[in-house]
Amino acid sequence: MSQSTVVVSDLVKVFFDEARGEVRAVDGIGFECHPGEIFGLLGANGAGKTTTLRMLATILQPTSGRASLMGHEVGTEPEDVRRNLGFYSASTALYPRLSARETLEFFARINGYPEDRLAARVAAVVERFGIGEYVQARVEKLSQGMKQKVSIARTVVHDPPVLVFDEPTVGLDVLNAIEMQKVIGEFRDEGKTIIFSTHIMSEAEKLCDRIAIIHRGRIHACGTLASLREATGCHYLEDIFVHYVRRAEAA
Amino acid sequence: MVRWREVKLLYLRELRAALREKMIVTNSIVLPIVLYPFILWAMFTGVMFVQGQTEGFVSRVVIEGLPAAHAALGRQIERDDRFEVRKVSPTRAEAERQIREGDLDALVVFAPAPDDGRALPDNFAVTIVCDGAKERSTGARDRVKGMIAKHREAWLKRESARLGATPADWQAFTIQERNVASGRQMGSFLMSMMLPLFFVVMVAMGCFYPAVDATAGERERNTWETLMSLAASRGSIVAAKYLYVATMGCVAGLLNLVAMALSMKPMLSPLLARAGESFDFSVSPGAALVGVLAALLLAGFVAAGMMIFASFARTFKDGQSMITPFYLIVLMPILLVNGQGVKLTWPLAFLPVANISLMMREALTGSFPWPQMAVTVAVSILLILASLRLATAILRFEDVVIGSYGGSLQKLIRDRLLRRSPGGAEVRA
Repeated sequence: MSQSTVVVSDLVKVFFDEARGEVRAVDGIGFECHPGEIFGLLGANGAGKTTTLRMLATILQPTSGRASLMGHEVGTEPEDVRRNLGFYSASTALYPRLSARETLEFFARINGYPEDRLAARVAAVVERFGIGEYVQARVEKLSQGMKQKVSIARTVVHDPPVLVFDEPTVGLDVLNAIEMQKVIGEFRDEGKTIIFSTHIMSEAEKLCDRIAIIHRGRIHACGTLASLREATGCHYLEDIFVHYVRRAEAA
Repeated sequence: MVRWREVKLLYLRELRAALREKMIVTNSIVLPIVLYPFILWAMFTGVMFVQGQTEGFVSRVVIEGLPAAHAALGRQIERDDRFEVRKVSPTRAEAERQIREGDLDALVVFAPAPDDGRALPDNFAVTIVCDGAKERSTGARDRVKGMIAKHREAWLKRESARLGATPADWQAFTIQERNVASGRQMGSFLMSMMLPLFFVVMVAMGCFYPAVDATAGERERNTWETLMSLAASRGSIVAAKYLYVATMGCVAGLLNLVAMALSMKPMLSPLLARAGESFDFSVSPGAALVGVLAALLLAGFVAAGMMIFASFARTFKDGQSMITPFYLIVLMPILLVNGQGVKLTWPLAFLPVANISLMMREALTGSFPWPQMAVTVAVSILLILASLRLATAILRFEDVVIGSYGGSLQKLIRDRLLRRSPGGAEVRA
């Protein structure tokens, strides 16, 4: 196995909620990811997936524990972490008043892509995602599918080695969801490390090389689909997931 | 840490997006140019229109007891198109009722003078009955008084000649007025009364929508998390947003100043010319420089203050509600000091916003009290630095960054400063 690009150990995040008091949204999570791998975080809504990914993206600060990305600690080197990361989620929208080209140029520049290669990189990304026809149009004028392509393009325009996709297919129609899955598979084939969170079993089953089942802020199982099948005796991922959740509830 | 390369990229992105947003362009650029000049134009056009309407009225009057020696006065009034002299003489009570009901404008009653005309034969006393609550009635009164004054002047001249004297011999005291202020000074005075007030309103309005757009607007558009995941430091992000909001406020203030200064002459001159006044509305280079400085200082403070409040809001609507009280607070000091004769004194130089407004007013009138102006600049810079420090401190709380406080400063203070909740991590960089 190649060297780990993402290392997470004993990561904890505690929030204070007026009604519930202290909430341990993430409770001692640990995992490692490698280049050319799609690592899936599979869990129900509120399981702690998004909080984990936000800590990896340095949007949130861990209460305790460690996480590093390409050797940079999220707690102490947040900008280096973000420079090596492409973060995509349903809540990372595009700037509506910029054109697709302006969006790509802005994200490449602000994420530190070398200025002398920027034009060529933007052109390559535009070509790859087929957004040439509307590259001058403002984002607010684009259809959902077009926005999705621009959004993926802006995530990778600075060519980061690690990509995080937090529930990327939420709100997409079937065709766009399939397109998204195809693109994520291509990134893996290019050698990027991909962390992919979802609550849709079929997606995780189809895409992920390894899957971590997360429930109430903890990882209850982590491995390839084959190893999870072997460990539980269940064939379908849905059954595997229910198996681990029930065991966690009973404990 | 603030990196200026990042600040420049983020600032230009904010500015480019803002200049494509109708609401921001309207409030920060179009309104400053057209709103107050338009209000001025509408106000003075309205005044002139109302004056024209009043002048167009025919005054309906009844004249009683006009002495035969002054029959010429009666003929003059009758010949004047502005009067309709009613021949049927109602009783005094009936006439007063008609005036109250608006059917008649004035009753003019002549009587012998109290001294019984011993000194001057044919002297008279006149009582003009009118309704002081009706503009048309008071207008009739003024017209009758004018006619009598004119008749008196001619009569005095004639009687004086008959007695071998001049009219001046009858008037022991004469009053003459002479205004030593030049047209330029009068223009500066008028500008100093109006421009600083409009200027503060416009700077605040110029900052208003950009401040909401840069904070709550990002959350509402779901671009806040996009922004937070950029490889730029938090310091650079705050600095870029602050500079963007301050720029829009400064531009709004300066555009308003220029538009007002340019439009005052064509709009006010016709009205002032009717009053026999001549005004010069030019602005000296010194005053223009102070105007630029004032715009920078005021926009710097207002932008920081508005961003503090707007940073708690999750939606545009929340942001507007959060900022409005601050907007009103900013306007309060200038309302207090906008009266005539208030100068930039030592105590007032320490009063934020008011000091900037007064500094501009002094400069417009050609007065430059440098020590008080220096204090004004120092106080404003300190206030800007304190506000920026507070804004940066607040945005270090990740709960604020991710929008957990939903528009509540009170909740932030209670949870984070008083209770010290465990989610108390600060967002680094």
